[in-house]
Amino acid sequence: MKKIILAVSVLAAVYSCKKETSKPTENKTDISSETPKTNNKIVSLSGGITEIVSALGHDREIVATDVTSTYPETLKATAKDLGHVKSMTIEPIMAVKPTLILASDKDINPDLLRKIEASGIKTELFKQEFTVAGTKKLIVDVAKAVGNTDYQKLIDKIDTDLKQVQPIDKKPKVLFIYARGNMMMVSGKNTPMAALIELAGGENAITDFEDFKPLTPEAVLKANPDVLFFFLSGLQGSGGNNGVLKMPGVSQTNAGKNKKIIAMDGGLVSGFGPRLGEAAVTLNKLLIENTK
Amino acid sequence: MKTPSKLYIYLTISALLLIFLAIGALYIGVYDFNAVSPFTVLKQFLTSDANLALSDKYVIWDVRTARIIMAILVGSMLGVSGTGLQGLFKNPLATGDLIGLTSGATLMAAIAIVLGGQFKEFLPEAVQFSLVGISAFVGALLAMMLVYKISTSGGKTNVVMMLLSGVAITAIGFSITGFLIYISKDEQLRDLTFWNMGSLAAATWTKNIALATVLVISYMVLLPKGKALNAMMLGEKDAQHLGINVERLKKQIIVIVALMVGTCVAFSGTIGFVGLIVPYILRLLFKSNYSYILPLSAVFGSILLLTADTVSRSIVAPSELPIGILTALMGGPIFIAILIKFKKSL
Repeated sequence: MKKIILAVSVLAAVYSCKKETSKPTENKTDISSETPKTNNKIVSLSGGITEIVSALGHDREIVATDVTSTYPETLKATAKDLGHVKSMTIEPIMAVKPTLILASDKDINPDLLRKIEASGIKTELFKQEFTVAGTKKLIVDVAKAVGNTDYQKLIDKIDTDLKQVQPIDKKPKVLFIYARGNMMMVSGKNTPMAALIELAGGENAITDFEDFKPLTPEAVLKANPDVLFFFLSGLQGSGGNNGVLKMPGVSQTNAGKNKKIIAMDGGLVSGFGPRLGEAAVTLNKLLIENTK
Repeated sequence: MKTPSKLYIYLTISALLLIFLAIGALYIGVYDFNAVSPFTVLKQFLTSDANLALSDKYVIWDVRTARIIMAILVGSMLGVSGTGLQGLFKNPLATGDLIGLTSGATLMAAIAIVLGGQFKEFLPEAVQFSLVGISAFVGALLAMMLVYKISTSGGKTNVVMMLLSGVAITAIGFSITGFLIYISKDEQLRDLTFWNMGSLAAATWTKNIALATVLVISYMVLLPKGKALNAMMLGEKDAQHLGINVERLKKQIIVIVALMVGTCVAFSGTIGFVGLIVPYILRLLFKSNYSYILPLSAVFGSILLLTADTVSRSIVAPSELPIGILTALMGGPIFIAILIKFKKSL
């Protein structure tokens, strides 16, 4: 019996040491290294904000997130997924007993916001602008909200990454298609996708309306994009490249004729957080590959 | 023959059942009160106990109780409006959803949501808050008047005409809502679709006070009309001989039902079929005696919607099912049952 206990405790000790020692290597890519001094219980209701909080080293404090918070993936195990911020209700948020709620002004539903504010829990609503400057400001604002001043390296990383974006001689016209089930929307001006396309050296194919509109064959033909751009999940849901080429109007466009279809992770594209530079470089590479 | 005192016995029993269900609903939810029962927390709140944590207080009073009360108020009004309409049209298929009232209210509310933003800033806050509500009432009233005009001639309502005009109004509502969806922004679009399926998640005490006010006013006018509606079943001429001002009665029912349906749609979105299910169940028990089924539908509507809402918010927790899905699931089969029963008379 004693032997067993001894063996178990030795194993446990070895395991915990392993855990301890393996951590720094695991987090090598993580920008933050110091442990934060705050002890919040954070509910983060926007993917970009969640990324900033995690990159600042406060990922352990996040107790629940919305469905767009897909990065870092480790949060899946530690934070509760509350679903889409449009259909979320107040009680599941209260159920995790948060001390701090972080949300973006972009997609929160006004009824829920009113309830959150009435709950008396400290809430920070951030104005999100889909620009480099807006992202940097968001990083500073979120850092302040979680009580961390160590944000400069996140900002510097964006700049370093963005320097790697190669200029493209003939700017490709890129059409972003947001596919969810049977619903297809294309992104107009003032969307995170349009902003990222421009950062990556492309040109948003839609110039005559803002926000998202349902996809129509004529609109696709009129836009005549050189490249079609999807979320990975959206492309999968649409039946891959073959499915996309069968969409009405698509096969007649330059992108359809040349089969130039690209896809990126949704969180990376629309987060506008610390990985903004990384997202722009990734898209830039994809665009260069597809305009040769 | 049932005597009025029996009505009070039924009312008391069903009210007790409702209270029992409401207390049960208080216990259901994802928030955990640290091993204290929600009922105790509520008691602590009502006695202003200083030991009560702020979040506990908020969840028990502003979230759970507010929602339960809203389910009771909306359910009650939807039930009574269904029964009132069936009395007016003398037909068990007349309900707010089927004759297009809900659709009319939804359409006008949608217009207020999408286009209201253009001029909302210039309105005082009280009107801003009730803009959607007022629009929904106007929408329900217009639809109601249209259906009544189309389907009634010489005091007789043609059931097929009534249902078909409901179909037409629903189609028009659907197409204009479709257009609004096209011109709306992504965020408004999501509001529209979510709100089209109905939900009580946005319950607040301010809304409950508004709903309760409409309920009290409407019931003061409508609930004493049981005998008049019974007389109406004999035919409008006979009712008139019995000393009932038929025209006035009809106008009152039209306005009150539109007010109730419009208010409910404005605060909780489209929750269908309550007005069909409640009178159907009551009719099985009490035949078409409106002196009984009109007041009882006020309590049974609450029982039905409270139960449906409790299921909707617990079955897929922490998310929730739109409540309209559940009521339609219950209402569909009853609709078919009524159709089969009245096969010959339609």
